[in-house]
Amino acid sequence: MFEPRRIDETLYEIPAEARKDMRVPARVFADEEILAAIRVDRSLEQLQNVATLPGIVDAAIAMPDIHQGYGFPVGGLAATELPDGVVSPGGVGYDINCGVRLLALPVDNEELGTRREPFVHEISRAVPAGAGREGGKRIDVQRILREGSSVVAERPDDVERTESEGRLDGADPGAVSERAKQRGGGQLGTMGSGNHFVEVQRVERIFDPTAAEAYGLSEGQVTVLIHSGSRGLGHQVCSDYVKQMDAVLGRYGISLPDRQLSCAPASSAEGRAYLAAMAAAANFAWANRQEIANRVRASVARVLGADTAEGTRQVYDVAHNVAKSERYGGRDVLVHRKGATRAFPAGSEEIPADYRAVGQPVFIPGSMGTASYVLAGEPGSMERSFGTTCHGAGRRLSRTAAKKEIQGAELRRQLARQGVVVRSASNKGLAEEAPFAYKDVDAVVDVVARAGLARRVARLVPIGVVKG
Amino acid sequence: MYEWRSHTAEIELAIEAETEEQVFVDALAAFRELVALESDAASETRAVALEASDRASLLVEWLQELIFLADSESFVAQRADDLRLEDASLSATLVGARASFEPLVKAATYHGLRFAREGDIWQARVVLDV
Repeated sequence: MFEPRRIDETLYEIPAEARKDMRVPARVFADEEILAAIRVDRSLEQLQNVATLPGIVDAAIAMPDIHQGYGFPVGGLAATELPDGVVSPGGVGYDINCGVRLLALPVDNEELGTRREPFVHEISRAVPAGAGREGGKRIDVQRILREGSSVVAERPDDVERTESEGRLDGADPGAVSERAKQRGGGQLGTMGSGNHFVEVQRVERIFDPTAAEAYGLSEGQVTVLIHSGSRGLGHQVCSDYVKQMDAVLGRYGISLPDRQLSCAPASSAEGRAYLAAMAAAANFAWANRQEIANRVRASVARVLGADTAEGTRQVYDVAHNVAKSERYGGRDVLVHRKGATRAFPAGSEEIPADYRAVGQPVFIPGSMGTASYVLAGEPGSMERSFGTTCHGAGRRLSRTAAKKEIQGAELRRQLARQGVVVRSASNKGLAEEAPFAYKDVDAVVDVVARAGLARRVARLVPIGVVKG
Repeated sequence: MYEWRSHTAEIELAIEAETEEQVFVDALAAFRELVALESDAASETRAVALEASDRASLLVEWLQELIFLADSESFVAQRADDLRLEDASLSATLVGARASFEPLVKAATYHGLRFAREGDIWQARVVLDV
């Protein structure tokens, strides 16, 4: 394994010469301590594998929350030059447009008071968690796939405050298999499993009062962070196209160090079909988080009253598993973000007018029971990381190791002692997501802030969690 | 015989079996453990016919089919009857029932995928996305 060399205080690089098949360097934003944690698993080897993709430009880039995934590491990005650079479904992942959405309530934690537990309970009743389709909204799937979150939005400002306004261009329901539609058909408005959650939080600290004011956030305020994706529909779209592309690698003369990186030129028939299906699945995910937000607002109305629900404002919604066509340095590139968040700076036309003076909001969930951050995109992201920053704390321990350390029931008691109300479909799933299984979110955010990719706006701490 | 191996974010299934068919039977048993199915009901069947370019990919397809049936129909198989392997295809009748179960994995991946004979034993590895 080639030693990563330090470029500056927050950037390390493995040069392209490290392996014959690498086309560009592999770069990771980290400090010494985080780099040591990253090197425990095979994530840097996976990042080097990404650097072999045909058409990749500049570097395969990882954020400080990088950890070992399947094929691509989680917490990284790859930009391929259009039109003929490749698109890789594995570079987006199975949960297409997994992402996070933040709602801000017009009440503070003291006003919530003893209604906190009923509120968390009400959300757990309204937003089904775990496997399968029970409790999902029955909808016109074709329309959702074409039009995204506006189909189910109950108010226009939710759509305006969503990345890409909750709809990717080029979506084609015809490129989505019937099996995918069957899996996703009844799952709209459901959370799913794994690390998905709906978390009730308190704004603990404001770092940037100007940006916080623009985002409608103040100290002590209650917020709700929603983490979910495209459910079975997106999983099936990725499965279908990984298989299709695996079968045509030879046709395009592509040789890969890992079959899960399977890809095809973005301009090819397979590439275009995947991008049309991925856009449709991304639209489904935005509609899913929108329906979850509708259900959270309904819970606010039931527990805190209709006026409080009316005053509950969507701050923003960001994707962290998606590929988007963007322009950098005069080149059109396809930016694959897998466990990484778009972080456009102030002045970008791509972000809502209300936020244009301060930059795009970015949400970084910590592990369950620890803090989350609201960040704002900075100009450094455009110069150094294709408009991208991190997406979370990043796993440190395997699920098996986490379960060996603690049982779900004990973790539930510990969180209760910390003042966090927990509702979870599964004790096993709860233990797998124990806080110590993740890196320190404060350290991860510190790196992206020092690297100039995003700046801190607010720190949020949990007061209630509904777990998938 | 199967076991779960450690992986930072996902889970890796490792199988050792005396026959190729047994690899697929063990993968079904592993899947049942994964979804923590308590019911032993076997009131319904699903006919399965899969194709893939090689044995390893066929194992991915097998697991994908089990995930698909659970996610779309809440159907979890107890056993596979008449399991037949050809060069590039597999057919079987899954016998099981609709049930409630633990949260699912999203997919079976090609990452680190392996299906090979070591001496008298067939070994397979597949990483599942949680």
